[in-house]
Amino acid sequence: MSARFDVIVIGAGHNGLTAATVLARKGKRVCVVEKAAQAGGMARMTDFGGGATGPEIAHLLYNLSPAVAKDTGVAFDAQPLPTIALSPDGFHAEIRGGTLRRAEGTLHPDASAFEALDARLVRFAALLGQLSDKPPPTIAEGLASMASLRDLGGLAKLGLNLKRLGRDDMREFLRIVLSNAYDLLLDELPDGPVAGALAADAVRGAFSGPRAPGSVFTLMYRMGQGCDAAWPMGGFGAFEGAATGAGATLRCGTGVASVDVEGDRVQGVTLEDGTVLQAGAVLSSLGAEATMQLAGPAHFDIEATRRLRNMRTKGTAAKLNLVLSDVPDMPGLSDAQKAGRLIVAPSAAHVERAFDPVKYGRASDAPVIEAVMPSLTDPSLCGQGRQVLSAIVSYVPFAPEGGWTPAVRDDLTARAIDTLETYMPGLSGLIIHQTLLTPDDIAAATGAPGGHWHHGEMGIDQVLTVRPVNGLSRYAFGIGGYYLCGASAHPGGNVTGSPGRNAARRLLTDGIPA
Amino acid sequence: MTVQTYDAIIVGAGHNGLTTGCYLAKAGLKTLIVEKNDWIGGAAVSRSLHEGWTYSNCSYVCSLLRREIVRDLELPRFGLQVIPYEGGATFTRDNDYFAYMSDHNALEREIARHSPRDVDAYARFSQTVMRQCRFIRPFLLRNAPDPTSLHPRDLGELAFLVKQAHGLGAKELGETIRFWTMSIGDFLDEHFESDLIKAHLAGSGIIGTGLGVYSPGTAYVLLHHYMGDVDGAIGAWGFARGGMGAISRALGLAFEEAGGTIRTGSGLDSFRVRDGKVIGVALENGDTFDAPIVASNMDVKRTFLHHVDPADVPEDFTKAVKRFKIRGSSAKLNIALDRMPEFPAAPEGAPFLRGDLHCSTSLAELERGYDDWKDGRWSAEPYFDMLIPSQIDPTMAPPGKHMMTVFVQYAPYDLKVDGVRSGRNWNDTTRAALANCVYDKMEQAMPDIRQRIVHAEVRTPLDIESEVGLTEGNIFQGELTFDQLLFNRPVPGYSDYSTPIEGLFMVGSSSHPGGGVMAAPGANAAREILRRAGKGRAMPKVAA
Repeated sequence: MSARFDVIVIGAGHNGLTAATVLARKGKRVCVVEKAAQAGGMARMTDFGGGATGPEIAHLLYNLSPAVAKDTGVAFDAQPLPTIALSPDGFHAEIRGGTLRRAEGTLHPDASAFEALDARLVRFAALLGQLSDKPPPTIAEGLASMASLRDLGGLAKLGLNLKRLGRDDMREFLRIVLSNAYDLLLDELPDGPVAGALAADAVRGAFSGPRAPGSVFTLMYRMGQGCDAAWPMGGFGAFEGAATGAGATLRCGTGVASVDVEGDRVQGVTLEDGTVLQAGAVLSSLGAEATMQLAGPAHFDIEATRRLRNMRTKGTAAKLNLVLSDVPDMPGLSDAQKAGRLIVAPSAAHVERAFDPVKYGRASDAPVIEAVMPSLTDPSLCGQGRQVLSAIVSYVPFAPEGGWTPAVRDDLTARAIDTLETYMPGLSGLIIHQTLLTPDDIAAATGAPGGHWHHGEMGIDQVLTVRPVNGLSRYAFGIGGYYLCGASAHPGGNVTGSPGRNAARRLLTDGIPA
Repeated sequence: MTVQTYDAIIVGAGHNGLTTGCYLAKAGLKTLIVEKNDWIGGAAVSRSLHEGWTYSNCSYVCSLLRREIVRDLELPRFGLQVIPYEGGATFTRDNDYFAYMSDHNALEREIARHSPRDVDAYARFSQTVMRQCRFIRPFLLRNAPDPTSLHPRDLGELAFLVKQAHGLGAKELGETIRFWTMSIGDFLDEHFESDLIKAHLAGSGIIGTGLGVYSPGTAYVLLHHYMGDVDGAIGAWGFARGGMGAISRALGLAFEEAGGTIRTGSGLDSFRVRDGKVIGVALENGDTFDAPIVASNMDVKRTFLHHVDPADVPEDFTKAVKRFKIRGSSAKLNIALDRMPEFPAAPEGAPFLRGDLHCSTSLAELERGYDDWKDGRWSAEPYFDMLIPSQIDPTMAPPGKHMMTVFVQYAPYDLKVDGVRSGRNWNDTTRAALANCVYDKMEQAMPDIRQRIVHAEVRTPLDIESEVGLTEGNIFQGELTFDQLLFNRPVPGYSDYSTPIEGLFMVGSSSHPGGGVMAAPGANAAREILRRAGKGRAMPKVAA
């Protein structure tokens, strides 16, 4: 059996779906092939049973590119949520729209320092955000071609905008862009839950602590489209809806066994069940190394395969999903605050300390958690008064010493619940159902390399011109008609849609052979 | 009280202050160097603390000293002799070792003994490192360009950078970006499979920093230690005959021959400033000197937070100085030995024993050492860079006896005791405990080391700060992280050795290109001072 399309997209994660939508809207015949039974990848909803549904892995929207929304027509009814920095002493802080106050509504002593820092970071992040909607800049090709001239134009525009910030801001940007979040935060704020929350944001999902140089870049990256997180009403289904709405075919339940290559051009894919799908171009939203393996290392030069194998993709975030019989008690928080993004990171030093054990294959003794109860914002998710608590738990190793035995899993789950219980007394008594997804599980469920939140570290040595690896950074992936469109391509992870959109546009520029 | 007038005064007779002094004096400026200690040299000193033995008390080996400067100032004529040493080794717990040797074939055989695949890896590794060294070396004796400036000089420096970068080509440029931003641990993991070889090579990526082997940016620090040379052999290290003080002595003699004056024994009280201009210095002993040009060899924190009235500089500048990171992360042991210790693992008379010796056997062990430091403790299993220079330089110890220098990392400045972090927690008890911890680890290589010790000088970060004046005892006068290199060093907008106070300059390694007994900050600053004084032509061409 064989069918022919213009383009095949491997993986129906939000980036694959975004790429498919952009192409289908340009009239291309697109087929998205997904191994799992359901589309969505890391941004998908799941039914926990008993009338409770919730986000399986990714659980918030905060960095969706407006350019993606424009090119795909994806529209979310996004409800902005406040960020609550939970404090062990009960003096929680609320961050909303760039302002900081005590959770009970009074003035926070660090409000002005926080607001100045936040405004500065958002301003700088917007600069970096400009880079997200284009392929990464390359300066080395110089004046060799019109295309690189256009890139230089983009770079010149960035330089101009940087200049426009004024000399002091420009100096500050150049000083901090490669530095570490820990020092930056503690130069301005006392170490406590607010600094902790920002430090945790800087390194969530990363194999890095806030003291590691480069963590300011990742903090700014997540602020690229402003800094407030939002819950998409109804979940992340809009990506799938946009793709099928634009006419793309979606095939779930069978993965791709190989990408077929002839004469250094892709011919299509062969599925695990033997089905052959032909196409002039193939876009892969898998990890970079898996994308290379599907076509076969023989098609890549030895340096490229070495670099791809060495890409750092050790995931450090686990996901804990709880179905609760009722809203837990959260002393010190209003109803609106309970529905917010709750951060357990008592200090930046705490986040750094939590990182240490994962380097040696152990989970944090005192985990750092980002929790949200989407069912409070979106009651349609649950019936019978049930609530869903969705928590990202850091740091958790991909391959713990001794492997993921049931005992190790239970221990991690218990530690995460204990940690939450500090702020939600009686939580464990409300739990009807619990699921833990370790980085290993996330890798198995979604194909994300190493279970890494961003398909690969967003260290300075793996972003922009060297993402995923040096020499393969501009979506075209070595073989004619083969493209990388997932989070391991520029600009990287989070639910942005940018890698998918940029890759699709690159393909449209290059043209699809008949 | 005396008042005397000079053309220029330099505060601090460290090797950079002396270097600046030499260039200014040679250009005809009546120059005075003041120094708080009774001796000159700062952290490049040789002192005898136990009869018959000479220690290189702080810095201990030499490679980064720019040969252009050695030539300009004719330092060999003043007794400077650098003797290269060859090889080095890391000893394991199970009576084995990995030896580094400069003989290429011997090194290949030694690598193959641990991992045949790593022979190839080493070839790729050294090729990359050499290429990056060649890229960076031309920048060391130039001012760092200020990208926010439209001044022709800055644009010229920027153009030089772009030209050098463009010369690399597309792929190379990508590799350069990666190399400059990645961690030494990741870089080595990409190349090698042997833990021991990785651990041996990783040390250079962390020496002197408050970073771990897996902290991004440490590959650059490796480069910082590889970009020097001895007699043109890039990456080679050597001993200054007579200890590191020989460098300072030669610089001091060169300075005095050029007409300069050195006054030791009284520290600075304050820089004297009037209407935003420096007018001289006031010493602790009450002496006052006038000069329109004053240069500080002290680090930027000591200069501005201890000796300048905050009212004389903009508030933003003081804030930037306060947030400049100078972290104490290392200690130093200088040991007099009654004879050569036994190395049971090493073959009799092995030449690699004359090089740098270590006992850290894996990257994980090194990273754990860093975790301890972050938490305010010295590393339970410290990394050390240990040498016995008396094997090559017999002037360091009596016949048949030896001198050993041990650079220890990590040791925090603000040691945590009973939950409180403070430099005051360093005392005789904690100092002795640190030394004991180091001896325990040294026994991995030399089981008899404790019996060999005749005398030991143990220098905690606090000791180094109190004696030399380096804030927190940091050997580089400031962390070598991206936010503190090039145009960001030490304060954005002041990477050209100037300060907000007219006539006051920074010549120490808080300034570009940083520390490591390079003398480049001192020479670059001298060039800048002379240019501003209208005497730019007096600076020799080689260092311009």
